[in-house]
Amino acid sequence: MSDPLSQEVDAFVHHEARLLDECRYAEWVDLFLPDARYWVPVSIEQRDPMDGPSHFHDDIQVLKARTHRLANPRAFGAEPSPRTAHIVSGVRVDRTMDDGALVVSSTQIMLEYRNRGGFEADQRMFGGRVTHLLRRMPEGLRIARKRVDLINAEGPFNAMAAPI
Amino acid sequence: MASAPQIEVPDPTALVREDKVHRSVYTDPAIFALEMERIHGRAWLYLAHESEFKAAGDYVVRHLGTQAVILTRDKQGAIHGIFNRCSHRGATLCAFDRGSAPHGHQCPYHGWTFNADGSVRFVSHPRNYDGVLDPADQAIQSVRIESYRGFLFGNLAADAAPPLLDFMGHMKTSIDDLVDRSPTGKVECGPYVLRHYYRANWKMTFENLNDTIHPGFAHAASVVSARNVASALPASEQPVATLGMMLANGKPIQFFQDIDMVTAPGGHSYIGGHMGASYTPDAQNGYVQAMTAFHGAERTREILSIDRHLMLLYPSSFWHARYQTVRILRPVRHDLTEMIGFVFRLVGAPDETYANAVEYCTGANSAASPVIADDLEIYERCLLGNGFGDQQWIPMSRGLKETREVTNAFTRSPATSEAFIRNQFAAWSSYMAQA
Ligand code: FES
Ligand SMILES: [Fe+2]
Repeated sequence: MSDPLSQEVDAFVHHEARLLDECRYAEWVDLFLPDARYWVPVSIEQRDPMDGPSHFHDDIQVLKARTHRLANPRAFGAEPSPRTAHIVSGVRVDRTMDDGALVVSSTQIMLEYRNRGGFEADQRMFGGRVTHLLRRMPEGLRIARKRVDLINAEGPFNAMAAPI
Repeated sequence: MASAPQIEVPDPTALVREDKVHRSVYTDPAIFALEMERIHGRAWLYLAHESEFKAAGDYVVRHLGTQAVILTRDKQGAIHGIFNRCSHRGATLCAFDRGSAPHGHQCPYHGWTFNADGSVRFVSHPRNYDGVLDPADQAIQSVRIESYRGFLFGNLAADAAPPLLDFMGHMKTSIDDLVDRSPTGKVECGPYVLRHYYRANWKMTFENLNDTIHPGFAHAASVVSARNVASALPASEQPVATLGMMLANGKPIQFFQDIDMVTAPGGHSYIGGHMGASYTPDAQNGYVQAMTAFHGAERTREILSIDRHLMLLYPSSFWHARYQTVRILRPVRHDLTEMIGFVFRLVGAPDETYANAVEYCTGANSAASPVIADDLEIYERCLLGNGFGDQQWIPMSRGLKETREVTNAFTRSPATSEAFIRNQFAAWSSYMAQA
């Protein structure tokens, strides 16, 4: 963990989660490259997002629309808006691709809360393995792919508003 | 003389009028129990596609109402449905929702093992049963299955059920619409399913998916956000399909007033499409060429000009022919419902066609879809709200006087009408009236 690359990557993954927890969605989307994909598959075995449907499979247009919507008081599925707290652990550079891109994995848990008067049911927990494909750009590390393998990927899920 | 205590079942048909329905049909667990017996216990319910069973022994576990059944392909290629229940002490046989059991389904408790058709393969320690129990009498109860163009339906009423084709009536044309779009005549179920659930009654989805008034309100936030993103796109860039789906909810109500809703006996319905005729699901036109080679030019034009949105096959499935997406609704409790989405590959069509279908299914059935998230929230709010106050009746009279055409097979109304809800409750009443 002491080498500079590991430290930089560790800080980046924590920073990304922090932006979500602080609802700084525009800054969060800015971490994604224009051709990026954000993917939450329905099975950890799914190799290609086009093999079947996903919980999330967003390109930058959809990411922008999704996060823009979270700020709208008429987004009933997100009203009241969700609060989240991420715990990020075990950030590790798994591989460096030939073109220099970094494959980074971490284990994450996200607590999510929406105050709907439903007692314990208002708080949920999502967790699993997160894999980032990061590229070094002039402005710093940026996300080319983010894949979230939830341990309960098969679902079913109730409405999900906050990205994981 | 003491008589056995009787459980009071009020006459359920009194809960439905021509233009309104009693709120207890959504909130009362006793009504739900009766629905499972009288509606889901009698209707044909979509279970699986034959392509999900590649080899002998392949199985899936699906539900008929609240009943879990195992569907397995036998060595001769036939597909059987049996209850997921060992005939010894009742343990469930399958813990996973799909798998392979080429040597039969073995019970985890005492090892009794069953063939695909439910007959006993062997019981453990059989000498204990000598002269006591004949394994041949211990077959697991099977479920009547019928297939239409490879789609397998089950019926808990066995011989009392009408043929599947009678049940579907006019709506079989929407299944034809899906299969006819294949340039080889074959469709194949994709390997992954997408599930969501909500804490409200199963009928909420049926009464929402052909409701064309709600999108302009319930989905207004997605429309605003999608427009915001679309308007910032450089001229060279088109909105992606998922953004298009969000934008489509912003169509003016007059658009839906002008198109048709088709309702049919049995509670089924669909509305005219919003996608325009002659939709071709790939940019290179390879799809149309493959279709023409298989069907001929005229038939291809005919098939591709059908522009239907979602078909609702009451009371358990939703069919989108153009995007090869089928969803099964699984009622769990009066206040808990699961939706399971399947995507089909048109065998022989370009990969892009399947990719479009995958994208549609994700947008239409993911709990994380900005559109679906709003619908699920609304269903749950309706369940909550219907518990408050004294208002007993829920109006379903929108468009009551706007019927456009009545034939034996179907009725046409404006797509803004609640005719489809009235039609569902007409079917609901006729199922529920029979003890
Ligand atoms: S319960 Fe199945 S073998 Fe005993
Ligand atoms: Fe909706």
